[in-house]
Amino acid sequence: MTTPALSISHLRKVYRGGLVAVDDLSMEIAPGDFFGFLGPNGAGKSTTIHCVTGIATVTSGTIRVFGVDAVKDYREARRLIGLSPQMFNVDPFATPRQIIDWMGGYFGMTAADRKRRTDELIERFGLRDHADKRFRELSGGLMRRVILCRALVHDPKLLILDEPTAGVDVELRRDLWRYLQELNRDGKTILLTSHYLEEVERLCKTIAIIARGQIVRQGTKDEIVREPGGLEAVYLRATGAEPDHVAAPAAGAGR
Amino acid sequence: MSINWVGLWTIIRREFSRIMRVPIQAFLAPWISALLFIFIFGFVVGKRFPPIGGHRYIEFVLPGVLMLNIVNAAFLQSTSQTYFQRFLRYIEETLVAPLSYIEMIVGSLAMTIVRTVITALGILAIGVAFGATTVDSVPEFLFWVVGVSVIFGLLGIIVGLWSNNFEQLTMLNVFFITPLSMVGGVFNTVNMLPGWLKWLAYANPFFYFANGVRHSMIGYSDWAEALPLGVAVTLGLSAVLLLIVWRLYAVGYGLRE
Repeated sequence: MTTPALSISHLRKVYRGGLVAVDDLSMEIAPGDFFGFLGPNGAGKSTTIHCVTGIATVTSGTIRVFGVDAVKDYREARRLIGLSPQMFNVDPFATPRQIIDWMGGYFGMTAADRKRRTDELIERFGLRDHADKRFRELSGGLMRRVILCRALVHDPKLLILDEPTAGVDVELRRDLWRYLQELNRDGKTILLTSHYLEEVERLCKTIAIIARGQIVRQGTKDEIVREPGGLEAVYLRATGAEPDHVAAPAAGAGR
Repeated sequence: MSINWVGLWTIIRREFSRIMRVPIQAFLAPWISALLFIFIFGFVVGKRFPPIGGHRYIEFVLPGVLMLNIVNAAFLQSTSQTYFQRFLRYIEETLVAPLSYIEMIVGSLAMTIVRTVITALGILAIGVAFGATTVDSVPEFLFWVVGVSVIFGLLGIIVGLWSNNFEQLTMLNVFFITPLSMVGGVFNTVNMLPGWLKWLAYANPFFYFANGVRHSMIGYSDWAEALPLGVAVTLGLSAVLLLIVWRLYAVGYGLRE
């Protein structure tokens, strides 16, 4: 049996103050999958990701990354993950080159490997003319590229992208889609959260929908989009945003 | 798992890069302050004081001034490092990396020590250049500089983790560090104090730090037993604070959601 890239079992996260952000959440991502993680704001997507990556503590439950316990063997588990977070968590006075190089350093990469990989990513993401500017001087789209480079510097086996195309222009979005598809074809497992349903539909092989801290729907993309109304209708029904009779398409209407 | 040396070195490299954005604040300010102390206590006010233990007043005061600057540099370095990383959220870069809590703490402390050693050596060089001080024992001098840096570096981490605004960052300095340092025998010998205040001085850790630094520089100690006691206080406080900081990191206090 293949070890899942990510296995979450009965995860519960309660914040100080008593807010239950994730409640008994279980899911698995197969190696090589392109996994779409959907849900409304505040549903628990980012909290789940933060628990997986160590930004948040786990109240109860287990998380395994390629079989490695993300709490007990957190250092080994973190080597396997690259995170592009939703919020820019960067020293605004540092340059993109420094940000990428430092992240490589935290992951134990040698100076030569960091230099090669940083140059490669700067070139790949069109950052050559901006590599030595301060992060705070960059446009939103360029900032997003830097964050992606930082997530990729150590060539992680599991790439977690929390709304990676929020606020970026159409060109970058399409370029990023191509790049992510290439990475996935090469065997990298990707977990993607997004509010753009067409993005998830275009890229992902498996989709899970979370609402109020629990997985309310999970399946392959193909089976979900075949349902009446397609992904959007399934999403609205699953999250309780729209009752079944409203979301159901009119007779003869295409998806 | 083995030590992540590259990660540890990266924490130091990164923080050094941050400090070098404000070199005047980090290094020049304490050196200029030391120069002013030498001018005032060496050439203006100090001449009116009688020698203390055979030493000119400036020779007596400068080690205490150096100690105060180490305390300030260590505390400011670690509070600002910890707090700004939290405030701007780039502490998450280290949280998602394969770094142990001890590596994060040691990296932070190492940078604090680098900053305080540069500060201390600069003040020492200025003092020696103006004939205001000497170094009686280099190993002893380094012990006190590093020991005091570790204590206030660790205290700074605790305050940096606890603070939720800039006001809280300064509270320990205002209500604890500054008052205790002023009555800790920096500007006067304990023998100048009335009897009941002497015991207060002996209960003040700053007295042992100032006394130790002074002994390493000019070979003078207020009280013979103060030196071994000072070493014990320094090692004991360092161990206790390290345990507290390690525990805070382990539970994610102020770090993890």
